[in-house]
Amino acid sequence: MTGALLADIVIGGLTTGGIYALVALGLNLQYGLMRVLNVAHGEFLMLGAYLTFTLHTSWGMPPLLTLLITTPAAFAVGVALHRLLYARVLATGEAGGLEARSLLLSFGLLFVLQNGALLVWSADLQGYSYLATPVRLFGTVFPANRMVAAGVALFLSLAFYVYLRRSLAGKAVRALMQEPDGARLIGIDVARLHARCFGAGIAMSAATGSLVSMLFELTPFMGLPYTVTALVVVILGGLGNVLGSLAGALLLGLVETAAVYATSSDIRVIASYGVLSLILVLRPSGLFGR
Amino acid sequence: MGCCPSSWSCGPPVSLAARLAPALGLVALAAALLAAPAGLSSYHRALTFAILADVALAVGWAMFSGPSRYLSLATGAFFGLGAYASALTVSRAAWPIPVLAGAAVAALLALAVGLLALRLRGPYFAVFTFGLAELVKHSLIWYETSVTGTVGRLIMDPPGTLALYYTVLAIAAAAVITAALLRRSRWGLALVGIGADEERAETLGIDTVRVKIMTFALSASFLGAVGAAMAPRWTYLDPQVFSPLVSFQTVIMALVGGAGTLWGPVLGAAFLGLAGEILLVKFRYLYMLALGLTLILVVLLLPQGLAGLGRRRS
Repeated sequence: MTGALLADIVIGGLTTGGIYALVALGLNLQYGLMRVLNVAHGEFLMLGAYLTFTLHTSWGMPPLLTLLITTPAAFAVGVALHRLLYARVLATGEAGGLEARSLLLSFGLLFVLQNGALLVWSADLQGYSYLATPVRLFGTVFPANRMVAAGVALFLSLAFYVYLRRSLAGKAVRALMQEPDGARLIGIDVARLHARCFGAGIAMSAATGSLVSMLFELTPFMGLPYTVTALVVVILGGLGNVLGSLAGALLLGLVETAAVYATSSDIRVIASYGVLSLILVLRPSGLFGR
Repeated sequence: MGCCPSSWSCGPPVSLAARLAPALGLVALAAALLAAPAGLSSYHRALTFAILADVALAVGWAMFSGPSRYLSLATGAFFGLGAYASALTVSRAAWPIPVLAGAAVAALLALAVGLLALRLRGPYFAVFTFGLAELVKHSLIWYETSVTGTVGRLIMDPPGTLALYYTVLAIAAAAVITAALLRRSRWGLALVGIGADEERAETLGIDTVRVKIMTFALSASFLGAVGAAMAPRWTYLDPQVFSPLVSFQTVIMALVGGAGTLWGPVLGAAFLGLAGEILLVKFRYLYMLALGLTLILVVLLLPQGLAGLGRRRS
C-alpha cells in the first residue's frame, strides 16, 4: 500500500466519520436519554440539507452561514414534536409498550416527512457546487468542501461534548442518563430537559444535513441511510456514551472507506445493515442496556 | 385488547340466531367473492384482487405479531422473497407450485431469522426485522448487478388473471381460517401468553422459543405466498419489490383494524387497501404521507390497540 493510498483512506475515513459523529450524537441523545428510537432522525438531516440548498440557491446565502438558521429552526421543531407527540406517549406511562409505540410514531413521522419532501422538492437529484476547489494533503487530493464540512461537524460534536461535561445543564443531562430516578429526586425538570434534548438531537441531525448538502446531491430519500449509520454508531459506541459515539463514528468511517476501496461501493449499504443485524443478534437487549 | 385478555378465547353466551347470522354473512361473502370475476369489470376485478392480497398480508402478519406483540417489519422481505421464488419457477412448473415455493422459501427464511432474532425484544426485534428486509434487498441488488449482470427478471408466460384471482382468494381464505383455528388452539393461547408476559409463559411450561419460531414461520409462509401470487401480475420484477412500504402498509392495516382480533386486520386491509389502490397510483406521495399521519394518529389515539404490540416489560 502506498503512502498516498493510505492517506486517501485515512483522510477519507476521518472526514466521513466526522460527519457520522454529529448525526450519531443526535440520535444517541434521543435514545440514551428518553428511550425514543427515532427512525425519522435522518429525515431531519434531509430537511436541513434542503433548507440549506434553498437558502443558498434562492437567496445566495453561504451554506455555512445557513447553519445559523437550520440549527435553531430544527431545535424548535424538535421541541414542538416532543411536546406534541412523544411526551403524550410517554405520559400514558405504559412502560412496556412505550418503546414500540414511540418507534411506530417515528416511523409515521418518517413517512410524513419523506413524502412531504417529495411533494415539495420532487424525487429528482438536486445540488449545488460550493468550495469544490481541490486541496493537496499528504500526496492525495481532496475537495475543500469535504474538509470544511467534516471539520465543522467534528467541532460541533466536540463542543457539545465539552458543554455536557462543563455546564450545569450538561450535568443534568448526564445525571438523567445515568440515573433517571435519582435525577428526578434531586429536582431536575425531566419533561423540560427531555424536550430540549430531543430538540438538540434533531438540531444536530439538521446541522449535519446542512453540511452534507455541500458535498452530495440531495434526494428526499437520503435520510434513512444516515439513520442506519447513526444507529450502528450508537450501538458500537454505547448508549449515552458521547465519546464512544465519536470514536465509533470515526472507526466506522475508516472501515467503510477501506471496504469501499477494497471492493465496490455497493457493498457499503450491505455492510452497514449487516453490521447492524450482527450486533443486534450477538448482543441482544444488553446492547442498549445499562 | 389489553384490558380483557380473556376475550381471546371466550365471550358471553349468544343465541343460536345471533350465532348463525355471522356464519350466513360469511357464506354470502364467500359466494360473492367466488362469483365476482364473472360480474366485475376488469378494473374492479383487479381492485378486488389487490384488496384480497392486502387482506391476506394483514391477517398473515397479525397471526404472529397480533397475539405475541412482536412487531415484525419483515413483511416486505417475505413478500419479496415469495415474489422472486415465483418469478424463477413460474415458467418451469405448473401454476400453484410457484406459490407453494414462495411460501416455503419465506417460511425457511423466517425459521432462520426466528432462531437468531426472536431473542430480541421490543424495538430491537422491530429494527432487526426492518434491517433484514433492507439487507435482503441490497444483497439482491448487489448480486444481480455484479454476478448475473441484470437488474430485474422478466416473467415469462404467467398464468391468467382468473387463476391468479382465485389463488389470492384461496390464500386470503386460508389465512383467515388458519388465524381462526390458531386462536382457538393451545398454540394460539400460548402465543397470547407470550405476548402478555413471556417469562411467566416460560415458567408455566410453554416452550416459548418453539411457539414463537413456528408461528413466525407459519405467518411468513402466507406473506411469501401472497408475494408469489402477485409477482406474475407485474411481468417484470426487480429488487425494489422488497419495499419497506409493504411492511408498513401491512402493519398499519392490521393496527387500524385491531391487530388482536380476527376480523380487525381484514377490515383494516379492506378499508386501507381500497383507499390505497385508488390513491396510490394518482397521488403516491400524498397517500404515503396520509399513511404516516394515520400511523401517528393511531398511536396517539388508540393506545390500547398499540400497547398490545410492545413487550410488556418494565
